[in-house]
Amino acid sequence: MGMAATAATAGRLLRLRAAGTEGPWRRLRAAGLPRGFLQPASADGDAAQRRQVAHFTFQPDPEPLEYGQTQKMNLFQAVTSALDNSLAKDPTAVIFGEDVAFGGVFRCTVGLRDKYGKDRVFNTPLCEQGIVGFGIGIAVAGATAIAEIQFADYIFPAFDQIVNEAAKYRYRSGDLFNCGSLTIRSPWGCVGHGALYHSQSPEAFFAHCPGIKVVIPRSPFQAKGLLLSCIEDKNPCIFFEPKILYRAAVEQVPIEPYNIPLSQAEVIQEGSDVTLVAWGTQVHVIREVASMAHEKLGVSCEVIDLRTIIPWDVDTVCKLY
Amino acid sequence: MGVSSPAFSPQHSQRQQQHFSSLDDKPQFPGASAEFIDKLEFIQPNVISGIPIYRVMDRQGQIINPSEDPHLPQEKVLKFYKTMTLLNTMDRILYESQRQGRISFYMTNYGEEGTHVGSAAALDNTDLVFGQYREAGVLMYRNYPLELFMAQCYGNVSDLGKGRQMPVHYGCRERHFVTISSPLATQIPQAVGAAYAAKRANANRVIICYFGEGAASEGDAHAGFNFAATLECPIIFFCRNNGYAISTPTSEQYRGDGIAARGPGYGILSIRVDGNDVFAVYNATKEARRRAVAENQPFLIEAMTYRIGHHSTSDDSSAYRSVDEVNYWDKQDHPISRLRQYLQSRGWWDDEQEKAWRKQSRRKVMEAFEQAERKLKPSPSLLFSDVYQEMPTQLRKQQESLARHLQTYGEHYPLDHFEK
Repeated sequence: MGMAATAATAGRLLRLRAAGTEGPWRRLRAAGLPRGFLQPASADGDAAQRRQVAHFTFQPDPEPLEYGQTQKMNLFQAVTSALDNSLAKDPTAVIFGEDVAFGGVFRCTVGLRDKYGKDRVFNTPLCEQGIVGFGIGIAVAGATAIAEIQFADYIFPAFDQIVNEAAKYRYRSGDLFNCGSLTIRSPWGCVGHGALYHSQSPEAFFAHCPGIKVVIPRSPFQAKGLLLSCIEDKNPCIFFEPKILYRAAVEQVPIEPYNIPLSQAEVIQEGSDVTLVAWGTQVHVIREVASMAHEKLGVSCEVIDLRTIIPWDVDTVCKLY
Repeated sequence: MGVSSPAFSPQHSQRQQQHFSSLDDKPQFPGASAEFIDKLEFIQPNVISGIPIYRVMDRQGQIINPSEDPHLPQEKVLKFYKTMTLLNTMDRILYESQRQGRISFYMTNYGEEGTHVGSAAALDNTDLVFGQYREAGVLMYRNYPLELFMAQCYGNVSDLGKGRQMPVHYGCRERHFVTISSPLATQIPQAVGAAYAAKRANANRVIICYFGEGAASEGDAHAGFNFAATLECPIIFFCRNNGYAISTPTSEQYRGDGIAARGPGYGILSIRVDGNDVFAVYNATKEARRRAVAENQPFLIEAMTYRIGHHSTSDDSSAYRSVDEVNYWDKQDHPISRLRQYLQSRGWWDDEQEKAWRKQSRRKVMEAFEQAERKLKPSPSLLFSDVYQEMPTQLRKQQESLARHLQTYGEHYPLDHFEK
């Protein structure tokens, strides 16, 4: 933006602010704020006192019948289940990152250290570039590395290790070496109050990096199957877990391990007028949009959950009839 | 206080949280095990008289303290000498070949041959090596053939790396040498992870990680050191402090007492050695290896040396250092001459053998070089494989698209130089 344009915009903003000076304060006064800042938000009380958040409604899928006995699980429990299955099946598998030992800040690793031992589920120092670099090394040595980055917002110090190292390990060595048994898991996406640094969805930064896979589940059932596929996949994978779904998403999830294939999008609703593609939390928003479009506009929407961001399922999205 | 402790101390101790007792006047902080002091005093970093430099031979190749002589058999010491000189010969020829436009790029190892060979000789053949880019002597000690060095530099069909990287980015699975990558210090935390996996596997393996004093400034180095110490990994961190990072002298790279002094800050046993003394490098690496595996803890070796050559064929170091300085190291303190003097004083080598070996090694290198030049380059289809373990649809389509393009326009490409 040029200097003159910037100044003009700033001027407009200041004028708006001056005009609205009295307004917000008057509204707050009416809401009783001067009576005491520390009154609890009451259920029947003033709506203005309760923190407002945008809504979405998690839409569970029907109970899967083809994988054996299921159990009601939320998303973090589904993740724990996948990790439990992995460590049981693969004796080389280890889980590490900040605070994973006590169960993790989102409880994804609860119980695993006690069950599998402190050499298999352990804390690392607070250093994302170290966590990913260390994970690459474990994988290069032939063991299964499951690294946690506490928030996707903090993945950037590890960007060099992911893009310049992990993604290119096999190619640059002529397939002499690889870090295919590395999986990086990270809480992802907005939660309402997370602001700049606990809400990010950084998949776009990785979407054009050949050599890695990026996967984002929409639900507990999807999460377990996709995470297991990532861990078993012979390429380094990043698995982003929508943090708002950790507790909010609950559905029936098989207890035994099962795999949902990577690089396969899912058409979760057929439609004929327009294709809507989404992933993670937004799938549920888009489902609502599809209903509303049908109801209010008479538009028939096809809804696709992309699931794997790279390599993505071009054929499903761009299928010609 | 200060960091002027002798080699490989303090004692390794398990870092425990202290037992909490509010009745004691002693410090109760979980973060440090220390006494109180009532005198305000900043710790003075000791850079005038830094960590001493361990050596076995003087600059004339004579053993200083006989009890430090590793008493290696003649055959082994001759292997040291022949490896260092063969490397030197290969470096001269490949550097020249870049000047003549035959290969695109090259990095020599002049002056640092002792750091490669002394350390490599102290390891088991199956110990995994993570290098930076100036450790070709380690591969050479492990009998990586000249043909494969050349193949990688020429990017020909024999290259194990399938011709994908710039010259000197060697790798060899069979010889446990992880493929070099250009970004600096990225190998450091990776080496730590590999060491952790080796520990879990009870492999009785050490991991060695080489890097320069410049790369030691990277965040990845700090990450690697800290992880190795906290996670108790059997790893040797081997820093080649050769005085320069391209044009940047050490005075602009760090202000503390080199890299060795950082080790104790992480709780890592550390030593500084004369990198141009192949026996000192050998002894230090041997002891570090023994203890790293036995005790599952990291060791830091800072090998002081000098980069006699330019940083690479893209560099002309006369722009930032004097010819006199370079000549001093080339003539007065070179790992090859010091070892030769040792060999000669033992009667294990003489001028005639020197002359014969020079001729023989030069001929071996020239043969490999001429053969490498004549070979084809890898097939263009290899541009697309190994990106993933399996080739995804998008890449397969690109590969097919290139094949069709070459069918139509192949005459505009030097396809005769490439395998089909």
